[in-house]
Amino acid sequence: MSIAVYIHSAAVLNAAGSECADLLGTPPSPQPLAFDATRRAFALPTPRLASDLFDRKIQRSVEPQGLRLLHCVARLAPALAALQLPPARIALTAAIPEVDAPSPCWDAVQAISEQPQKPLAQLLANTPPLHAITLLNSSVMAYVAEALQCHGPMGGFCSQDNAGLDALVEACQQIVEQRADAALVVSSSPNLTPALYLREPTPSAEAIFGEGAAALLLSSAPSRTTPHALRIAGFARGYSADPQRGAAVARRVIDQALSLEKLCLGDVEQIVANPEDAQLMSLFAEHPRGVRSARAMTGDLGASTLLSEIALALHHTQSASATPGHTLFVSHSRAGHWGALLLASETLEKHT
Amino acid sequence: MSATRIVITGMGAVTGFGFEWQTLWEKMLGAEHCVCPWQPDGVGDGTFPVRYAAAVDMTLLPEALKDHPAWNIALEKRSRFGWVAATQAVNDSRLAPDQLREAAVLCASGAPQHMLADMLLTLAPDGSAPGWQHLMPRAGQVNAEGSLRQSNDRLARVIADGLGCEGPVINISSACAGASQAIGNAFQMIRRGEVNVAIAGGADSVLNLDTMAALYLLGAASSEQRWGVDLCRPFDRNRSGLIAGEGGGFVVLESLEHALARGATPYAEVLGFGSSLDAYKVTAPQPEGRGAALAMQAALDDAGLRAQQIDLINAHGTSTPLNDVAETLAIKSVFAEHRHYRSLTVSANKSQFGHLIAAAGAPECMVTALACLNDLVTPTVNLHDVDEQCDLDYCAGQAVSRRVDFALSNSFGFGGLNTSLALGKYREHGQ
Repeated sequence: MSIAVYIHSAAVLNAAGSECADLLGTPPSPQPLAFDATRRAFALPTPRLASDLFDRKIQRSVEPQGLRLLHCVARLAPALAALQLPPARIALTAAIPEVDAPSPCWDAVQAISEQPQKPLAQLLANTPPLHAITLLNSSVMAYVAEALQCHGPMGGFCSQDNAGLDALVEACQQIVEQRADAALVVSSSPNLTPALYLREPTPSAEAIFGEGAAALLLSSAPSRTTPHALRIAGFARGYSADPQRGAAVARRVIDQALSLEKLCLGDVEQIVANPEDAQLMSLFAEHPRGVRSARAMTGDLGASTLLSEIALALHHTQSASATPGHTLFVSHSRAGHWGALLLASETLEKHT
Repeated sequence: MSATRIVITGMGAVTGFGFEWQTLWEKMLGAEHCVCPWQPDGVGDGTFPVRYAAAVDMTLLPEALKDHPAWNIALEKRSRFGWVAATQAVNDSRLAPDQLREAAVLCASGAPQHMLADMLLTLAPDGSAPGWQHLMPRAGQVNAEGSLRQSNDRLARVIADGLGCEGPVINISSACAGASQAIGNAFQMIRRGEVNVAIAGGADSVLNLDTMAALYLLGAASSEQRWGVDLCRPFDRNRSGLIAGEGGGFVVLESLEHALARGATPYAEVLGFGSSLDAYKVTAPQPEGRGAALAMQAALDDAGLRAQQIDLINAHGTSTPLNDVAETLAIKSVFAEHRHYRSLTVSANKSQFGHLIAAAGAPECMVTALACLNDLVTPTVNLHDVDEQCDLDYCAGQAVSRRVDFALSNSFGFGGLNTSLALGKYREHGQ
């Protein structure tokens, strides 16, 4: 990449806590779901938004997954403001799952059930005019853009676990190709609803999901508050739903991500991946340093998984004991998406 | 920016006009529209306040498409339309299966289609408040074609699975800018060398009771009845809101080198992509069109074009009171030098096939490409009494023949998410 792109700052919110260091604590226990006691997950209380940044009406007009994201993003506002960039040079990309709430609100569902012969009248009489706004990912992006004054390039992504990588790649390229000088990458896990368990490809019975959000600030210059910086050094994406082809696609994706730095897998200091994914783990069976994951602390955060893991990597990089080296993040969705991201931890030459 | 040139070599569109882009183009040049009387399923007495839409007419399904697998597996309606459109685009491109292996698929799918019947499964047997806990014991009754069973990225995956694509498979969510973002991101991926071929576009259908009710309550969808089926009238003084369409559109993009090596003939060249955020209000565009202007300027900059080189703008043109004025102001600000906005032709495709919401940008990109190829601009129909705040040449009433070397195609999403694609006439030796 001709222009270096750095992970400048990060914010997380998940079952472990709201600080990146919380991901290093003792794993919490997943709890039975409110709607299905046979399944366990990491649910979170809906956070309150900072009223100095967001209009108070937003608290009522955004789904919990959006509120978690906004709560997280708010903590990047000071770092973004400190960059003193024109709004048109700040990009925003988002990885936000579809909202699973009923599109007629719960009150309308109740009213329709009471007068099923008049569904239209009940629907129109019991759905607030602005209810649709709560269902749109673009509403959440608009709230972020308005609060943090991002007028620059944008991209919204809504896939499975891979959406976080798609949003990160797009944000990174906006800086590399000089359309922006900084980018906010925001992500949220899905709400815990039946859809998580009913949609194909259905998860295993043991799957532990979590609620959470993560946001990153990327910039063309590293944060100068610590002696080390975390640089985006490569990425690649691929897909195959066919298990027979999956390993070949995965190897291609990993090789591509490593190629810009002319590395092979053995050169990588740290691998971050889901240890419960047997197909994924088979790729690293011979790697000497093993595989790390914060998943036990958070559950499966879906589209927010990658950004949460990067936030932890940034925390490591900014610690006093940090050493230079590469971290490779490899993801594999249940549907068959493969993604690889290479980050380089570097010592800043003129740290002040 | 790199010297890699990116061209459109295949197109597929499913709209109210039918199931092929050729039909779409022919009817649009003939100044037809496909808005018809419409009521959602389950409302048999004609009382739904939104009376018109540009629905896909399944009686127009050609014999050759009746065996398409999209009709035979559990999918949301929009995904069926999208899969058929993507297949048509790939067939149109004449790409061989082995040339698709490393292709990317980028797809905008809009908001999920919640089924009212599924939501009624959340009711307690004793009539107390609804909740998800009541649905789980009845999970077997959940509709296989609704949002609780179908993830939003399902269409992108069925396309990739069906065609054997192993490149990035990306689902886009940026409201009405979605398909345009998909095409723009695909263009950028090819330009930076991530892939050589991409299938990009989108599909959407909001023509169901609860989604249209939501759009109506929001004040976005027109319930006007004065003009009958002619109510979609972008830039007209009597415009009253969007008229929803449904369908899907996909284009095949590839590097020119890749296209020429296999003997393909490009329809047009994609030259640039720009996007921006209004950062203004969720419910309204920035009144002066600031975000829209930023996106158009970004597309011009990305393409290396001067504003004076643009001949045509395929407008977002939703027929809503706020958008059409803001977009006009945005065009006038970007093309202010030498009052170039007076030389532009502006066309609003939504007047002819309605607003395809997340998919809108795909057929509109195709129509823009065909304008560049044929030097023909499709009209803005139903435009009889131009709003005094909308004072550009909107190609009212009938198609015009004019040179189109370069064009922009605008798509602006709810919440102020803006995109603009820059296209150009394909020339063997570059622009």
